Amino acid sequence: MIEDTHLIELKGVSRTFGTTQALKDINLYIRKREFVTLLGPSGCGKTTMLRIIGGFEYADEGQVLFEGKDIANVPPYKRRINTVFQKYALFTHLNVYDNIAFGLTLKKMPKDEIARRVGRMLRLVKMEGYEKRGVDSLSGGQQQRIAIARALVNEPEVLLLDEPLGALDLKLRREMQLELKSMQQQLGITFIYVTHDQEEALTMSDTVVVMNHGCIQQIGDPKRIYDEPKNAFVADFIGESNIISGVMIRDELCEMFGQEFPCVDEGFAPNEPVDIVVRPEDVMVVGEDVGQLTGEVASVIFKGVHYEMMIRTEAFAWKVHSTTMQPVGTRVGLTIVPFNIHIMHKAGGQ
Amino acid sequence: MRKTLRGVYLGLILFFLYSPIAVMIVLSFNASRSRAKWGGFTFDWYVRLTQRSDILQALWVTLTVAVIATVLATIIGTGAAIGIQAMKKRPASLILKVSYLPMTMPDIVTGVSLMLMFVFVNVPLGYWTMVMAHITFDTPYVLFSVLPKLRQTDSNLYEAALDLGCTPMQAVRKVILPEIMPGVITGALLSFTMSLDDFIISYFTSYTDKNLSMVIYSAARKGIEPSIYALSTIMFLVVLALLIVINKRGALENVS
Repeated sequence: MIEDTHLIELKGVSRTFGTTQALKDINLYIRKREFVTLLGPSGCGKTTMLRIIGGFEYADEGQVLFEGKDIANVPPYKRRINTVFQKYALFTHLNVYDNIAFGLTLKKMPKDEIARRVGRMLRLVKMEGYEKRGVDSLSGGQQQRIAIARALVNEPEVLLLDEPLGALDLKLRREMQLELKSMQQQLGITFIYVTHDQEEALTMSDTVVVMNHGCIQQIGDPKRIYDEPKNAFVADFIGESNIISGVMIRDELCEMFGQEFPCVDEGFAPNEPVDIVVRPEDVMVVGEDVGQLTGEVASVIFKGVHYEMMIRTEAFAWKVHSTTMQPVGTRVGLTIVPFNIHIMHKAGGQ
Repeated sequence: MRKTLRGVYLGLILFFLYSPIAVMIVLSFNASRSRAKWGGFTFDWYVRLTQRSDILQALWVTLTVAVIATVLATIIGTGAAIGIQAMKKRPASLILKVSYLPMTMPDIVTGVSLMLMFVFVNVPLGYWTMVMAHITFDTPYVLFSVLPKLRQTDSNLYEAALDLGCTPMQAVRKVILPEIMPGVITGALLSFTMSLDDFIISYFTSYTDKNLSMVIYSAARKGIEPSIYALSTIMFLVVLALLIVINKRGALENVS
């Protein structure tokens, strides 16, 4: 289980490359045995943050604490942290066994102990029997497993993973996501995982850190991030959503398109302009005469489990997910229950 | 018809390229001193080589200079390649252009300028100035053999080594060097070949010590004796063998 101690803590960390600020005043703590995902579009600073934790990059300002001690001057080879690199960075002059044994050999561990641990790792990543193979002869998925084994065999306190599944096909990715998650739980190691794939982040993480333009947008568990996005960026990046500019008339009542909708949010200033998020699966299609809004089906796409429909009302085109299909051109009513309306402060103010 | 024409054309080119060398090789086995008459097959001229102390001395100079220059140029060139690879793009490309220039420069320019520099700083022209000159023209060959190999490697390789517990020195020794070793060896072989057959630069930078090319040159001016053909034949074969090895390695690299 996740312990409540702060294993790694970033305090006011900033980093600038030339004229671009990759990280702006980042404050974050990571608990022991937590699976944390840094999620954001490319260029949002997530990889820079990972590299600072790994020791491959330094912070211009702020502190990085490991178990309460500043590790700014601790080189990567002295940190109890290992990394799985994006393109794996396996050593092609060594075979599978020697790749995995590399870190242990450096520590001058007895040969039989190394053999025992490497064997255990090969079982963990399901690559037994590949000891003598050259790494060049392996497929992408197999190389990925060896890279994970090579890092984990050192029994690090923290494992950093930099978009490790990026090069794999969808089916293999899904398999590896589950395997990584089960490895993390089995070994009780803290994982810090970088990805731009929101589904991956929601599937695996205990905590998701959503980033954009070098700033943290929201920190929370996957369900909270999905259900209660803090701002329009998060709502848009995590899953699909309808984002509407509206006004919060008073507690539990908002206004969209000049029409009042009851909701459950409180604590906004009277008549404060807000962003309103409604997930496509939360828009209910009902009869034309009973809905809060009326509109016409503009397009229908079959997505497997559900249909994705664009329903055009007078002022807005709603994205709607529903298991029942309405033919294009049908007039329908739309209803949104108060609980499914999420009110957010306008972007800019956090 | 076109096929035969093509064959004849190719044959002519090869004939003009290699017939002088073939003539020299044949004459090196000619028992007669005359270049016009075949006096029977003999190894005498090769045996004669072993009895000429000036040639043995030059052989020693050639080999030791080549070995020392190759070793040092390989170290300098490989280090430079690793450094350039880690540099930012603009300064790296500037340094590459500057390093490329000596390879295209006429040997005589390199030779004269090195000689001038040695004279200017008052170093007597001899064995060690020749070694330094050879290091100078060998280094770019190593650099340009190692760099492509470095570019092929994963950019996170060095960091992966640090991550697994290597100090920066260990990372270079245990990971980077083994990964680029094929390029390093190709560079060393090229350097050795260049050193073995260099004449012009050696001629300008060494006065007291002579390598084989210099001995052949001065012998040829005095009136040539067939043992010089034998010596040239040996040099030709050694350089040919080295070039075949280098090309075979290149072909293997491209396949894998």
